[in-house]
Amino acid sequence: MKTCALMICFAAAASAAGPWVKGFVVSWYEPAFRFGGRSDYSRGTEIEPGVDCPHGSTTHFANPAQTFKAISLVPWRTSKEIEAISNPPTNTLNRDGEGVYYPVWRAASAYRGYNRDIETYINPFAAEDPGQPQVVSRIGEGFNLDGKIKEIDFVSPDGEKGIDNALYRAWGCDAPWRGNGNGTLVLRSNDKMLEGLYTIVIRLTGNKDPMNDDDVTLEIGYSPDKVMKDASGRVGADYSYRILKSEQYSKLKAKIKDGVVESEQAAEIHMPQIAWFYNQTRDAFFRNGKIRLIIESEDKGTGLVGGYRDWRDLYSQNVFAQDGGQQGVREHEDHIANYYALRRHADGIYNPKTKRYDGVSTAYRMQLVSAFVVDPDKPMEMPVLSAEMRRRKAYDDTAAAMIKATSTLIPQDVPPGSGEEAVGRGGVPIPRRRVR
Amino acid sequence: MFRFLCLGIVALAQPMVPPAGPGVFTAKKIAATSYKLVVMGHKFTARADVEKYLAYRAAEHTLEQNADWFTLTEDRAKGETAVPVPKRDPNGPRYSFRMKNFRPVWRYKAGGATEWKRWSPFSGEPFPSAIGDFEVSVDILLRKAPMDDADPLGFEARALSDLLINQVSPPK
Repeated sequence: MKTCALMICFAAAASAAGPWVKGFVVSWYEPAFRFGGRSDYSRGTEIEPGVDCPHGSTTHFANPAQTFKAISLVPWRTSKEIEAISNPPTNTLNRDGEGVYYPVWRAASAYRGYNRDIETYINPFAAEDPGQPQVVSRIGEGFNLDGKIKEIDFVSPDGEKGIDNALYRAWGCDAPWRGNGNGTLVLRSNDKMLEGLYTIVIRLTGNKDPMNDDDVTLEIGYSPDKVMKDASGRVGADYSYRILKSEQYSKLKAKIKDGVVESEQAAEIHMPQIAWFYNQTRDAFFRNGKIRLIIESEDKGTGLVGGYRDWRDLYSQNVFAQDGGQQGVREHEDHIANYYALRRHADGIYNPKTKRYDGVSTAYRMQLVSAFVVDPDKPMEMPVLSAEMRRRKAYDDTAAAMIKATSTLIPQDVPPGSGEEAVGRGGVPIPRRRVR
Repeated sequence: MFRFLCLGIVALAQPMVPPAGPGVFTAKKIAATSYKLVVMGHKFTARADVEKYLAYRAAEHTLEQNADWFTLTEDRAKGETAVPVPKRDPNGPRYSFRMKNFRPVWRYKAGGATEWKRWSPFSGEPFPSAIGDFEVSVDILLRKAPMDDADPLGFEARALSDLLINQVSPPK
């Protein structure tokens, strides 16, 4: 009944011509990976095998055998050491901070270089490629960013050829991001967004029919206002949010046809990137990007944003919020494997100096809830959480060290105060102090 | 001050891998995009040192020829089947390179001997213990991107070069 009434109102609004404004707050934000498995199915040690990833999600560091494989590639480790690291003296796979596996594997995984002193989440090029399952299916979401139809491109679910989403090809089997909206980091990052870590809003303005208008302005950016929820805990409709014209803001030309908004292909799109810690909150920075929104009803819609992102931003975003070993062991992902996959699949932002691509084509899905998106009364900067600045600096310093290392090929030291420093040195964990 | 500045500039200008002496590395074209690469030396240090240097030169040669990756053609003589041929697994993990599959063939003169002997990594024979002069060789086929990362004998040149650049120096 309610839906029917809404449809009638929406149809009435849609037929009106004249200046109009429509706003949305993003209620869900995740990489546009297309899940091919079944959440209730596993085969042996494989988790949710499917057409996307025939052997299921990654199982790096999931058990002693997987850890053995990764550590076996370290040239300075003796077979005795590899055996001892892979099978610490305990009967359980305890991943708690106080457990045995977690600190041992976390520390050992961080030092896989050609010599003992090289921290390889900061210097990933100095470790051997441990191998990464990659997406083998042909269906993928995203945009044809380069205007070409290539053999390696995906076909969209509705049949569009030439879809560029190399991030999906490279990382689509990565355990924390794969699933039917239930990947552990998908859930975690959305939970944090909805708990107030950051907010994304969209504003559309035009002068014709809000469902069919060929001269639309699309704004997307950071809001300093936390996402509001209704009594049931879902994102509430029609709350007001300010949009800041900050470094995480873009204004694009767009068109709407039958409720589908297609932006121009913009040289740059700035908007918040996915984050689950404050130190990761920053500009997603898409190059040659596009946005598509589908207005499903008066109060909700879906969206897709895509473009080329710098591989260094993608890598840092996924590794340095805490430390690579901690996340890798916990989430069954191997950042060294991810590094090689990312660089192997880089397909945009050509760097003539290095003759390599620095960009990876990407696409991200959004769910939208209607909102009033307004300008702040006075121009304002993005708020800063001063209590988190130490961790933010640690992230920046670690990312800078990784960028320097991978561009000069001179291994860089672990920055003081960083998450990677807390892991231990030379693959040996720092003993945790017990609180009594 | 000026002296330190000059020393700094000289240090920066030095290549990360020292140049090889004459004849240490040769690349012979055997077909349109295929090469036989050979590294030779007179003072054996360690098998890994020499093989890594050859792998590095293979990566650099690939880039010099404006290619992006290469496939290694294994040099298996008749009966050298002790080590199985690596199988392609399109549904398995993908790699930029697999160092364990970079297996060149050796020719060497045992200490003081005058005749060359062959050692193949596929023969099952242990690696020789006394080596004087040596020649280590691989045949490679150059390729353009995108890389076939399911090919167990595929090596992405830039990734391989990045890994090895700090580890290798030419044999004497």
